[in-house]
Amino acid sequence: MIEAQHVSFEYRNPEEPPIVVLKDINLTIERGSFVALLGHNGCGKSTLAKHFNAMLLPTGGTVLVESMDTKEEEKAFDIRKTVGLVLQNPDNQLVSTIVEEDVAFGPENLGVPPQEIRQRVDDALKVVGMYEYKNSAPHKLSGGQKQRVAIAGILAMQPDCLVLDEPTAMLDPQGRKEVLDTIQDLNKNQGMTVVLITHYMEEAAKADRVVVMNDGEIWLDGTPKEVFSKVKELRSVELDVPQPTELCDRLRDAGISLPEGILTTEECIEALASRMEVRAE
Amino acid sequence: MINGIALGQYFPGQSVMHKMDPRIKLINTFIFIIAVFIPQSWAGLLMVILFVLFSINCSKIPGKTILKSFKPIIPIILITSLINVFYTQSGTILWKWWIFTISTGGLNKAGFMAVRILCLIVGSSLMTYTTTPTALTDGMERVFSPLKVFHVHVHELAMMMTIALRFIPTLIEETDKIMSAQKARGADMESGGLSQRIKAFIPVLIPLFVSSFRRAYELATAMECRCYHGGEGRTRMKQLKMQGRDYSAIAVMTVFVGLLIASLFVVPPVL
Repeated sequence: MIEAQHVSFEYRNPEEPPIVVLKDINLTIERGSFVALLGHNGCGKSTLAKHFNAMLLPTGGTVLVESMDTKEEEKAFDIRKTVGLVLQNPDNQLVSTIVEEDVAFGPENLGVPPQEIRQRVDDALKVVGMYEYKNSAPHKLSGGQKQRVAIAGILAMQPDCLVLDEPTAMLDPQGRKEVLDTIQDLNKNQGMTVVLITHYMEEAAKADRVVVMNDGEIWLDGTPKEVFSKVKELRSVELDVPQPTELCDRLRDAGISLPEGILTTEECIEALASRMEVRAE
Repeated sequence: MINGIALGQYFPGQSVMHKMDPRIKLINTFIFIIAVFIPQSWAGLLMVILFVLFSINCSKIPGKTILKSFKPIIPIILITSLINVFYTQSGTILWKWWIFTISTGGLNKAGFMAVRILCLIVGSSLMTYTTTPTALTDGMERVFSPLKVFHVHVHELAMMMTIALRFIPTLIEETDKIMSAQKARGADMESGGLSQRIKAFIPVLIPLFVSSFRRAYELATAMECRCYHGGEGRTRMKQLKMQGRDYSAIAVMTVFVGLLIASLFVVPPVL
């Protein structure tokens, strides 16, 4: 689906030394997968996301989207149609004063016939659960609702892959849950390839694969269980682990043997309960 | 405090006038503005008044709202009337003092002008009352699209208007936030003279400008992500279709203008 080969990126200033943001990134995103891209602020994860739909072009290496090279200018259109990018601030992504017209903005740009746009807009709004708000004004919606409209705006372009750049960073817990549920639903039920950029560990734990970036490089790559079992490494790049994982890690340090790779509260309770049963016997 | 600002003058409703094609409303309003200046007799003006009343009836806008719209134009009407009263000297002279004379002809003309301006304002504001800013922008884009031949960027102008409308509430909200933040740090915005108050606004305006530029940049990125590339090759979801009511509106307008022109020949001008 998306293939990054030896990608590097730097901001060049004529007088100053270049600022290196990405260093030799090799990453393949499989079709239908749900990849979480984790990293501390300034580690280059947003920059990498903008490489996935040709908003930024690598200064070294290549990015291939469905075997199209992002460097070819005439392919930029097709690439953006294939990989939809949702940004952080929902307020700054909505163009129109009416929800449904905003969702129609993408397909209108693609030159889709009017009846089909209508169909796509209705479908996209239903998928994100905002159909009943189709005639509302965006400024009257909550943050989570606005972000879901922004996602619908991308979905209406019918991309194969959705890249979300910290879509929940500016939302309250309720809005975060709404958006995350929508993303999970898209991946599980619509077969959408999802790349979720986040710094919330709980969100990353829901993905099939977690890629941790640090200082422009890929630091860790694996399933959530594999990645979050490396508590010490994550700490060293100033990242947290999900709370249950942290609790188990501390208990392990205190000499209580517990299995590795505990991510959710339920798993944690189970592990502790079985541990206590062993003791009781 | 700023929340009270209404966007445009739109008055929600379901009347014939509300449902009319915005293009027709725009064109008809334009014709109406010219047509108001055709009649030269009270008979002709009476037709304009009747037409305006008929339009108000079609729009289902309550009379109170219409009366309220008079308020800001009262000074204009008063000034033009006064000038007309003292400027025109014909008929019998009723009152004279120094260089000021009031004559029946003057009063007649002043009254005529005042009624004409009122009709003009009421008639044209009916359009903004019954059309949402979005529909208005959309209508304008389509009405002016022939100007593309002269390299006028009609689509781009309409897009800018849409974005401006979209961001007004957002920026108002932001202004409120910044003002609260500055007040929390002891800024005083309500006291002092005019110059002091203007100065007190600078710490609000600068952050507002900075954030607007940041927003503009992000919006541009988002638009590019959604394949925006100007008006070329773009389709629209909402197609404007002329319907029965639109054709009747054109017919009514044609008859109205025809009658006004005919009145010029039938009734002698009063002025």
